[in-house]
Amino acid sequence: MLTSLMPWLLAVAILLAVVGALRRARLWLRGRASNVNVWAGIRAMPKRYLVDLHHVVERDRYISNTHVATAGGFVLASVLAIFLYGFAWESKLLAWLLLAASGAMLIGAVRVAKRRQSPPERLSKGAWMRLPKSLMVFAVSFLILSLPAAGLLPEGFGGVVLAALLTAGIVWGLAEMFIGMTWGGPMKHAFAGALHLAFHRRPERFGGGRSTGLKALNFDDTQAPLGVEKPTDFTWNQLLGFDACVQCGRCEAVCPAFAAGQPLNPKKLIQDMVVGLAGGSDASYSGSPYPGKPLGEHKGGPFQAIVAREGKGLLDPETLWACTTCRACVEECPMMIEHVDAIVDMRRHLTLERGQTPNKGAEVLENLIATDNPGGFNPGSRMNWAADLNLPTLANVKRTDVLLWLGDGAFDMRNQRTLRAFVKVLRSAGVQFAVLGNEERDSGDVARRLGDEATFQHLAKQNIHTLQKYSFRSIVTCDPHSFHVLKNEYPELGGEYVVYHHTTFMERLYRDKQLSLKDWVGGRVTYHDPCYLGRYNGVYDAPRQLLDALGIDRVEMTRSGFRSRCCGGGGGAPITDIPGKQRIPDMRMDDIKASGASVVAVGCPQCTAMLEGVVEPRPQVLDIAELVAQSLIEEETRA
Amino acid sequence: MSRNLAKLPSNDEVSVTVLVSVGQHPVTGRLRRADQDARALEMAMGLSDAEPRVIYAGPLNDSIEPALRGYLGMGVSELKVLRQSEQNDIVPALSAFLNATPSSVILCGSRAELGESSGLVPYQLADALGYTLVANVAVIEKVAASQAVVLQALPRGQRRRIEVALPAILAVDSASPVARQSAYAKATRGFINCVVSDTEEKDATNEWHYAPARKRPKRLKIIKATSARDRFKAAAAKAEGAGGQVLTSVTAEEGAAAILKVLKEEGVLKT
Amino acid sequence: MNDIKRRDPRAEWILRNRLHPEHSTYALTQATGRLSEWIGPTGVKRKNPHLVGFIGPAGVRRIDRSGAQSNQQNTVKAKVDIDARRLIQIDGPSAYIVVVPELPGGRFSAQDKDLFGLAQQLAAKQSEATAVLGVILSPLKDTELGDVGMDRVYFADESQCSEYDPETHLQQLTAIEREFNPLYWLFPEHTSMSADLGRRLSVKLKVRATSHLWQLDLDTLMATCRASGGASDLYRPVSRVIMALAECAEPVSDTRHEARVIDSSINAADVIKRIRNLGAVSVDPAKVALSEAEFILSGGKGITNWDAFHQLARSLGATEGASRVAVDDGHMPRDRQVGATGTWVTARVYLAIGISGAIQHLQGIQACDKVIAINTDPGCDMIKRADLAVILDSSELIQSMLDQLQQSQVEVQHVA
Repeated sequence: MLTSLMPWLLAVAILLAVVGALRRARLWLRGRASNVNVWAGIRAMPKRYLVDLHHVVERDRYISNTHVATAGGFVLASVLAIFLYGFAWESKLLAWLLLAASGAMLIGAVRVAKRRQSPPERLSKGAWMRLPKSLMVFAVSFLILSLPAAGLLPEGFGGVVLAALLTAGIVWGLAEMFIGMTWGGPMKHAFAGALHLAFHRRPERFGGGRSTGLKALNFDDTQAPLGVEKPTDFTWNQLLGFDACVQCGRCEAVCPAFAAGQPLNPKKLIQDMVVGLAGGSDASYSGSPYPGKPLGEHKGGPFQAIVAREGKGLLDPETLWACTTCRACVEECPMMIEHVDAIVDMRRHLTLERGQTPNKGAEVLENLIATDNPGGFNPGSRMNWAADLNLPTLANVKRTDVLLWLGDGAFDMRNQRTLRAFVKVLRSAGVQFAVLGNEERDSGDVARRLGDEATFQHLAKQNIHTLQKYSFRSIVTCDPHSFHVLKNEYPELGGEYVVYHHTTFMERLYRDKQLSLKDWVGGRVTYHDPCYLGRYNGVYDAPRQLLDALGIDRVEMTRSGFRSRCCGGGGGAPITDIPGKQRIPDMRMDDIKASGASVVAVGCPQCTAMLEGVVEPRPQVLDIAELVAQSLIEEETRA
Repeated sequence: MSRNLAKLPSNDEVSVTVLVSVGQHPVTGRLRRADQDARALEMAMGLSDAEPRVIYAGPLNDSIEPALRGYLGMGVSELKVLRQSEQNDIVPALSAFLNATPSSVILCGSRAELGESSGLVPYQLADALGYTLVANVAVIEKVAASQAVVLQALPRGQRRRIEVALPAILAVDSASPVARQSAYAKATRGFINCVVSDTEEKDATNEWHYAPARKRPKRLKIIKATSARDRFKAAAAKAEGAGGQVLTSVTAEEGAAAILKVLKEEGVLKT
Repeated sequence: MNDIKRRDPRAEWILRNRLHPEHSTYALTQATGRLSEWIGPTGVKRKNPHLVGFIGPAGVRRIDRSGAQSNQQNTVKAKVDIDARRLIQIDGPSAYIVVVPELPGGRFSAQDKDLFGLAQQLAAKQSEATAVLGVILSPLKDTELGDVGMDRVYFADESQCSEYDPETHLQQLTAIEREFNPLYWLFPEHTSMSADLGRRLSVKLKVRATSHLWQLDLDTLMATCRASGGASDLYRPVSRVIMALAECAEPVSDTRHEARVIDSSINAADVIKRIRNLGAVSVDPAKVALSEAEFILSGGKGITNWDAFHQLARSLGATEGASRVAVDDGHMPRDRQVGATGTWVTARVYLAIGISGAIQHLQGIQACDKVIAINTDPGCDMIKRADLAVILDSSELIQSMLDQLQQSQVEVQHVA
């Protein structure tokens, strides 16, 4: 009886799944066009799934093994079941294989259930609590179903009761696994995820590559709305990406704003986009909400503004402005969803279309327009800190080996100490360098993260125009934000440069024996990875090697390297200043204190400012340039 | 201070006009929307849901246009331009235009940021149009058909309430609420509408010339000594600015007295 | 009694010369009631210490330095001081220069005095006798009108005398214009009353007023004015109506003027009032925007008792500010934060309590004239920046300041 029912069950399930898939695809295709190489993507998809995605999942060994067993078992079991029961192939081998596949899946399902017994806070509950049961039902049903075919049980074993139970189990299993996959159940992640990997907006990220620069807005059409106002303003593959979310909450666990009690949770943000995509309210969301924002109050639809002009929409603007763009969520996401791109897209709308950059944001942007720096300082005073250093300017020397990019830290008294230290190092190594001096402008980093793409492009084009006039081999900067923008975001606007962060550059000088260093004395040191150097650009080793070269007793914080916690200074977060329960730099300072270090080495003016803003007593904050400058062996002959 | 709370009743025939000019950044001198004029527009936009009429009189060229677009970025769709050449007095053109198309409330900044910036234009205009004028307006509290109640800004954050008969020109003070951010997209999409060109009226200011502001010398303390002792004290007094005075190991009473003495000397303590 | 003091050069000479044979005789007459202090020929005060005091009942000289001992010397001394300045009287002036002072709080402001100084300098340059006429349109508490530099003074009628009534005041000014046809009209450039009146008058008189004047060349009559919103200087011939900034000239100090009151025979026409002054609105100084504030009381981590801090701000009439830490800890709202990441303030006086002075904070108070710091740590950066620093625990000092303020308030009430 069951064997005659099976082809029908399978056919109905597959048919419903296809209908669901088409419906879902229609929702995605409401989004804007995107330049995607469809066939190359589909070809590359299995590798992206098996290699790149698995690399991320593997950071949690338990779940990685579980996932291999469950997903592998499920895919294999489904295919085999289709052949065995759909096309009614009679094969003992296939039956044995189905037995093995569903067995593997069962093991996986049990492990999922075990994880779900007391699930960590970051995991969503609700429908996701049902999933291990559904998985087990599916696995057990097919396991039992395969037993007679494999000859382990006699045909007709168990009689009608078992057959009825089995039918029920298979219906449940198919409904969850096949129909649920395309109609919005927890299994949606498998279907949307696979396509998302195929049509990812940053294909460079696969195969060990890195793509972190924001994508430029096109201003040619003055009537086209700028940024993302409603869900359909996202590109279709972004919408698809949101649907791929498995709600594992790894992003939530690493988000500094969430930990600080600011109203942001990357997982909820992505889920809200899914709600907006299909229309509805967030009442059925079953994970941690945005801190301080109860569920059920926000709703939206594909053609409704995400941030309502009046009343409540899908999101409150504070949620978007709380992000520090530290990319920790993106780095952790096993589905490789691009949270930061989405947030900046929505910020672009708020700033460019509505003029609603909160708190000091408007003032900072006005300053950038009027004075080329966020502080509103006289652009003619950019070099005041170096009045006694006689730094050669490119306007005078025209060509040089190394262009030292100062960044806006040149106006900040604290950062001027770092700059002086680095100049000392460069001079001691005999590097031929020059600065742009007063011709330099803000790189545009803050403007871009605050959503003011127009000001960013204006500044960038002016900087590129200035740089065109001169000849130099490479740019070195002490500011990871300038570093990132110059290296990764200027090329799209026509400025291609060789850019180094000062730690990389000093490390090279040291390797080339151009720096003679003595051991640095003074306590234990830990290193704080700046987001824009580490996660954005993958520079983790050079600063550490430099510290080791100084003979420093280096300790690592629990969260370091690609898992480093943000200082709270990125993405204009100190400017938009969204209140939370505690401050992000205070949390980072607690990390530093917990490592037992008495000095924290940094490589970013933002990090320095944020960490030094923590009330004393606290470990001392020193830039690596300062540590190196303190350890230079001054050679009499060179002077 | 609170935001503008007054809302115009929609059936009233109170129309609002804002006069704007081109401003410059105090540090770099780059042209942009003028701060007080933008505040005036902010005030006008708070008055009614209908869009206020925005008028600019003066020269118009490629460097000035982006500055004017700053006002459009605040959310008005059109800016009317009475185009004048550089050396022209703008008052005749403005008064002729406003006479033809009157408005019951005209808002403008108190002082321009370019040129003479004497702050006389609102007065000349009020005189030419026969409007009432109130200067240094910080908040508009109420607008009715025939009169308005405004708060005038006084030094040190103080306010004075004034009732003024309409039609009136209200010159807005820097103490009024900050203007909203100018949004790039609205600024580029807004419409700059040239309604009038030059009315031949030359200014008699050829004897005038401008130079970058000189730093004003600090006034020297002239000591009028009436006795030898006073003269000696003045001559022997420690030069100022050579680091501050630090009072250590004093009692709280002495410390408090020393601080209060300085506050009195500086004139910030009124008792 | 005849107030005119006649000098006897011979007597003075003998008194100075102790070797003179008649010295003792003269000295004795002085001791019995003549001067022990007098103004020497060069205008410098001279003293004869031998003549101080009086002969007591026992025939012994007594010197009472408490001042309680009544002696005509004190009154004479007061007169000597006044007499040190030249009294200038102009009987039949042929021209006038009018000054309309601002009179904030009913007193002459420093700027008002500067304007009278400028008016006197202008008057002195005229070939014919020119009087400076002060026009008092709002209630005045000060009495020393002559010291300020007024030769004539016009008081508005009580009915027309008010803080702000531009229409009535303008009528009075035009009446004065008709009556005296002044050479110049001087108004202090100030955001309250006078500058507004000056502009109204200039428009009425069809004069292109000289505004924001800060320097006037008395010989060429070229004015230097702040133009372009403060970014440039405009050099132009001065006009009849002048709005001048503070410190445009030195105030009058060497001369006294008679400040003769002009009879209120000036008839100003009545006006239909279209502006009605509904009076001052009480604004809590603590709530004034930081960037607007002139006097800021700022608190940081060192404050233990925030209630006392708020109370002190109220009693001082200061605007409240805070360091970043105090804001982060939730003691103060974010819009009260002073510093590079908060508000850049321009207060004239900045009183910082319990703020150690992070670089960002010090950057935010760069423009402050006078910084007073209270802190327990003498080595902190705020103390180095401060013009006056007190090394003490904040709560004790705040309490002490509150006590002293209360005491002085009580005293003021007793006097009044």
